This record gives sequence, C-alpha cells and structure tokens, in this order.
Amino acid sequence: MAIVKMNKISIIGLNKEKSLLIKDIMDLGVVEISSQDSKITDPEWINFVKRDGNETEVLNYDAKISKINEVLASLEKYDNSKKPLFSTRRTITSVEFEQRILSSAKTEENVTQILELIKSLNEVSTEENKTETAIMSLKPWAMYDVPLDIGDTRYTSIFTGVVPNIIDIEKLTNDLEQKTDRCYFRKISSDKDQHYISIICLSSEKDDVYEILKQYGFNNVTFKDLEGTAAENIVKYDQKLKELSQKKEIIEKNITGAVPYKEEIQLLYDHLVIERDKNKILGNMLKTDTTFYIEGWIPENSKEKVEQALNAYQCWYEINQPEEGEQYPIALSNNSFVQPFESITELYSLPSSSNIDPTLFMAPFYCIFFGLMLADVGYGLIMSILCFSVLKKFKLEGTIQKMLKLFFYCGISTAFWGVMFGSWFGDAIPAAAKLLFNSDFTIKPLWINPMEEPMTLLVFSFVFGVIHLFAGMAVKAYMLIRDGNVLDAVFDIGFWYGFIIGLALMLFGNAIIPGSGQIGKWMTIIFAVGLILTQGRSKTGIVSKLISGVLSLYNITSYLSDILSYSRLLALGLATGVVSSVVSILGSMGGRNIFGILLFVIAMLIGHSFNFAINALGAFVHAARLQYVEFFGKFYEGGGEQFNPLIKKTKYNKIIKEEI
Amino acid sequence: MNILTNGNFLAILGASVAALAGIGSAIGVGIAGQAAAGVVAEDPKKFGSTLILQALPGTQGIYGLLIAFIILNKIGLLGGGMAELSAAQGGFFFAASLPIGVVGIISAIHQGKVAASGIMLVGKRPEEIAKAMVYAAMVETYAVLALLISFLMINGITI
Repeated sequence: MAIVKMNKISIIGLNKEKSLLIKDIMDLGVVEISSQDSKITDPEWINFVKRDGNETEVLNYDAKISKINEVLASLEKYDNSKKPLFSTRRTITSVEFEQRILSSAKTEENVTQILELIKSLNEVSTEENKTETAIMSLKPWAMYDVPLDIGDTRYTSIFTGVVPNIIDIEKLTNDLEQKTDRCYFRKISSDKDQHYISIICLSSEKDDVYEILKQYGFNNVTFKDLEGTAAENIVKYDQKLKELSQKKEIIEKNITGAVPYKEEIQLLYDHLVIERDKNKILGNMLKTDTTFYIEGWIPENSKEKVEQALNAYQCWYEINQPEEGEQYPIALSNNSFVQPFESITELYSLPSSSNIDPTLFMAPFYCIFFGLMLADVGYGLIMSILCFSVLKKFKLEGTIQKMLKLFFYCGISTAFWGVMFGSWFGDAIPAAAKLLFNSDFTIKPLWINPMEEPMTLLVFSFVFGVIHLFAGMAVKAYMLIRDGNVLDAVFDIGFWYGFIIGLALMLFGNAIIPGSGQIGKWMTIIFAVGLILTQGRSKTGIVSKLISGVLSLYNITSYLSDILSYSRLLALGLATGVVSSVVSILGSMGGRNIFGILLFVIAMLIGHSFNFAINALGAFVHAARLQYVEFFGKFYEGGGEQFNPLIKKTKYNKIIKEEI
Repeated sequence: MNILTNGNFLAILGASVAALAGIGSAIGVGIAGQAAAGVVAEDPKKFGSTLILQALPGTQGIYGLLIAFIILNKIGLLGGGMAELSAAQGGFFFAASLPIGVVGIISAIHQGKVAASGIMLVGKRPEEIAKAMVYAAMVETYAVLALLISFLMINGITI
C-alpha cells in the first residue's frame, strides 16, 4: 500500500568512472547501496572480487569534521546575534556550493587559527583555576607572617600544618607545655574543618614535639617553591589572576571576531561530510583491478531517473523486481494529511515489506483520540496556531516538521471536541463573567457535558474503542485475503466480529432497540459455536481441535480488556476539565475587586499553562498507547529496515540543483 | 457527638484519602528524577526527553486532586454552604475515594520505577523514547481505571 515498492539494482562499472558515478548517484539521492559482506565470504565471489573501501580516508575526514565541530560550537557560544528558535538549513544551489568550496583553503586556515585560540583559551582557563586553588590554599595562612621559605634554622625547627577542628586546642598546648617550655605555639586561623597552626621548637626536641602533634591528628603542610610570606604570595597570585583574565578577554575577543567566518566554516563542514560519506560508501562496494560492483535498492518510481543517469556511463546495470518474499528496505509514502502520523509509526517500528503501512488507518483515530483526551477549544487553538506559525516562519525538515504538523491536526481535533463538550479554557469564560458581571452566562456544549453525563461519554468511549479494534481486525482480514487465506479471514476475524457484536446486543441491545437482545443471543450462540469449531483447525485429532476451539473463547477476556482500556478517553478528558474548573475556582476566590481580578488573571495563566502541558503530554502518550497496544496488536508487525539512500546529509546547507 | 458517625467528616476524610495519591506521585517522580539527573550528567541535551518521562508518574497526584475536588465541590465545601450529610452518605464518599487513593499511590511508585528504567533506555538509545513512554503508560492504565471507578461512584451518590 503505502510502503514504497523497491527494486533491486546492480551496477558493474569501470574504476576510472567510479567517483563520478558515485557523485551522480548521490545527487539523485534515491539509491541505497547495501553492504556486500555476504559476498565477501562467498567462495563463488571471493576469487574475483575484493572489498572496496578507504578507511584511512574516512578517518581523516572524521577527524577534520570533529575539529570543525569544536570550532563551530565555540563560535556559536561567542555569536551574540539573535539565534532563531529552530535552526534551519540555508538553501544553496549546487553551483554556488561548488564555487565557494574552491576557496576553502582560506577557511581551513581560519579553522586552524580558531582552534589555536580555543587551545590557548583552555590553557588560560586551566592556569586560572590553578591560581585560584593556590589562593584558596594560602588564604588560611594570610596571618602567618614568617616567610614561607624559612624552614629549619640552625637551632630551631618550624612546623606548619593542620589539625582537625574537633580537637581541643587548649589540651594540645597543655601537652606541649608539659613536654617542653621552649616551644612557641600559634593558631593562625580556623575554618569549619580544621585549625591551621604553626609551632617553633628546638631542633633537638623536634621529634618529641612531632610525637605529640601526631596524637592530635596533625598533618604537615609544606609550601613548595614559595618565597616571602603567605600574604605577599596572595597579592602576587591576585595580580596573576588579573593578567590571566585580561589575556582571556583578548582571546575571547579574537574568537568573537571570527564569528563572521561561521557561514564559510559551516559550508566546509557540509562539504567534508559529503566527501566522507562518498568514501564511506565504498566499504559497501566490491572491486576488481579495473571494475567495481554495486548492489542496492531504488524505489520503483525512480527507475527511469536512475537509468537515465547510468546511461551516461560505460557501465552494465540491471534493475529487477525483488524476489517473492524477499525483504527490502522501507520507505513510507502517504498523502499530506497522513504523512505527519508516519512519525508515530516510526516511533513504534517500521513495517516489514510483507506487512502493511498502518499509518493511513491509524491517523484519523490518533487525531480523534488525542482531541477527545485534551478536548478544549482554547488549548486546541493555541496548539494549532503555534504549530502553524512555526511551520510558516521556519523551513523545517524531517521529524520536527512532521511532529509540528501532527500537533497542528491534533489541535484542530482538540478544538473540535472542545466545542462538542463546551470547554473553552475549561469554564474560564463563565467564571470570568460571574466574577466581573455576576452573570450566570454559560457556554452550552454542542453535544454533552462530560462532567454531568460521564456515563454517556463512557459508553461512547467504548463504542470508539470497538470501532478502533474492528478497524484493526479489518486490516488483518485484508492482509489475510490479500495473501489468499480467505477462510482464515472469515474464521478468525468474521466470527469474532459476529461474536462480539452479538454479545454487545445481548447485554445492552434491549436498551437501544427493544427486541434486539434476542437477536444478539442467537448471534452469540451461533458464532461461539463457529469459533469452537474453527479455532482449533490447525490441531490434529478431533478432541484437541475441540479443546482448543473451546479455549479460544477465553480470548474474549483480551477483547474485553482492550475495550475497557478505552475508558481512558473519558478519564483523561475529565482530568483536563476538572483541573480547569479548579483553576477557575481558585482564581475567583479574590472577589470582585482589583486584586481579585489580578488574582484571576494570574491563576488563569499559571493554571492553564500547567494543565495544558501535563494533559497534552498525557493525551500524546495515551493516544499513542491505544495505537501501539490495542490497535497494532490486532494486525501489525514491525521490524522493517529504513530505506537509507546515499544522499547529501548536510547539516547547515540544503543543496538544490537548479538556480533559484 | 461521635466524629466517625459524622457524615461531613467522613466525606472530607474521603477527599483527603483521594488526595493522598500524591504520595505515590511524589515518590514516583522522585525516583524518575534521580535517574534523569544521572542521564543528563552524561548528556545535557537529553533534558527535554527525560523531563517528559519524569512527568509521567505525576498524573496520579492530579487524579487524586481531581477526585478530592469533586467530593469537596459536591458536598458544597468550596461554595461555602456545606450540605448536612448523613453518616451513610459520608461513608459512601469515603468508600468511593479508596480506589484512587490506594491504586494511585502504588501505581505511581511503580510507574516511577518504569519511567526511571525508561530514562536509562533513553540515555542509551534516545530514539526509543516512544517505547519508554508506552511502558510507563501501561502502568498508568490502572490509575486511570481507579480514577474512573472513583469518579463514577461519586457521581452516583445522591445528596
């Protein structure tokens, strides 16, 4: 269906044309060159071919790219111009791109220079840190007025060091005094961990003094390579810090001065990425002395384009349909409404090529369920308008564009259900009317108010659930019929349809159409018998057939739990509504005066932002869950490989072919 | 007057029990937050996706608040004039608050653990965030069911 049909392509060409041909293929951007590892080990091939590839070149490019990345990151940091909310790629023609790359030697020089600057900036920063640490460690000794380079004199020894804060200094001095009276003790300073002390004693008594100090957990502190007192050194270091910060400023100014080169550097970055990818893809190719071999996939509808390009070369090529059951890489193609929902499918897993693209079937349900769970006109409109204006303003690509489109549609759905349920920022408007004008104005819901009639909405949630599940089963039936298993479709899907509808009619039918309960009863019985007779058909032996047939009825519990799971549609919808009304009530508490109105406005802003954020997240997650668990569970198997053609994976410039 | 036969007291007690679901959310969000901080320490760019996962166990607290609020609103405590409830009516409110109060706490704690594991998953494979969210949402199902039952019960009580 919406999985793009792929054709297999193989090319044999001459080595001398290889790089040109690869460039052309890359320009086309529709050829996936698959890895040929299996052929390397195949004895039939191994005698003729070798793996192509140029890994050293790739590594070279990678090294250059990572350097430029570093440069760009720091330029980004010093770029003071206003940055857009979303980064988009500049559009540039291939002609202009090639031309500007010609002068890349100058850019490379700039890159080297900026790298130098970054390196010296780092050095200065390290030096700064070192100096700061040195100051920190000297600070406690600021009051110590003996020059730090004086250690022992002829007759005396000096101890400088720290003892833990918890010890009793007085006891320490007492102990010292008891030992000797020719000893000078001084506490320099203390902080929350330790005391900083110095002791001067006779050299002859040095060991005795040290013995006592050791008992109090004394740790020697030495000042290596320092001259003068601590205070003098601190002044010196402070001076050094000043110089360093000046140096830093100059370097930073130089880097800021290089910001205008950013665009050229980005161009070079993209160029290197393209060249790297060209070299990298060689690893997926095979070669002989004069020829090369490529095998891969192209979308069927690009066949002519590829043929045209290849005809310009002296090469042999072949484009074939994939063999029966052969797995091919997956690309999805859908119309513009369904396309954004591909991201939900991709987040789960891509379909395998024998499966079906579920996006088309899932999209409307996702949109409706998201809307039901958020269900507020205000929130929906804000979401849609925000997404729309971002999409208009920025030329976004890829996943983020898909996501914004997705939320645009979901916002519309949210607003729609808001109208149905009469929720405009919850009940903010009636609450404001009540606060300001004391009027009993209310906004009537177009359908029902879920707060007042939760049971009705609960039933409808289940009805939505049954429709959703039946749709999933219908897709399964389609797949079975497509593969020629018509009977399987009738037995496994058709009978269950009948059984579930019958059960529903039997239990609830009389309330809607009197007498339909009787029909439901017979339907249930007939289809139950049908299931018992058919569900064990793969088993051998009449007894085991019947047993597994009967056991299969137990599956009704899984259908039941699937359906009950849809009650979250009501519950999350209620959560949005109730939190909104909490906000209104809190906001109205100030009464009708200037502060009351101010309180109302503030409560509205904060409360609704919070409510919107948390419930939009809930709606996103739970709408996805209903698809992944309940819906996909009925028919879908993932496991497809993404189609990964050789294209220019540029980051900053979007290269287009024609002139604009 | 015996306070346990006072209907109004029982109803307010019910609202309190419902709001206790926030305990679970606090623990759950806490567990997830610790894991998130660890992942962000390695790669600060993952703040956004880990924050989303961290927020998931927070909903039980909101559900509890929701039920508590509906009870308070229904008995008129918020409007000023509180209705005189019989002991039986008050007991009904209390009973109706139990599902979200109890299930909320337990499911939020476990959802927090799943979210924490999910955050680890995102740490290694950022592209798999959807799966991590769905795992956490599986746990939340039971809080949603409890919320629904509590809500339907309260909705059915006549005063």
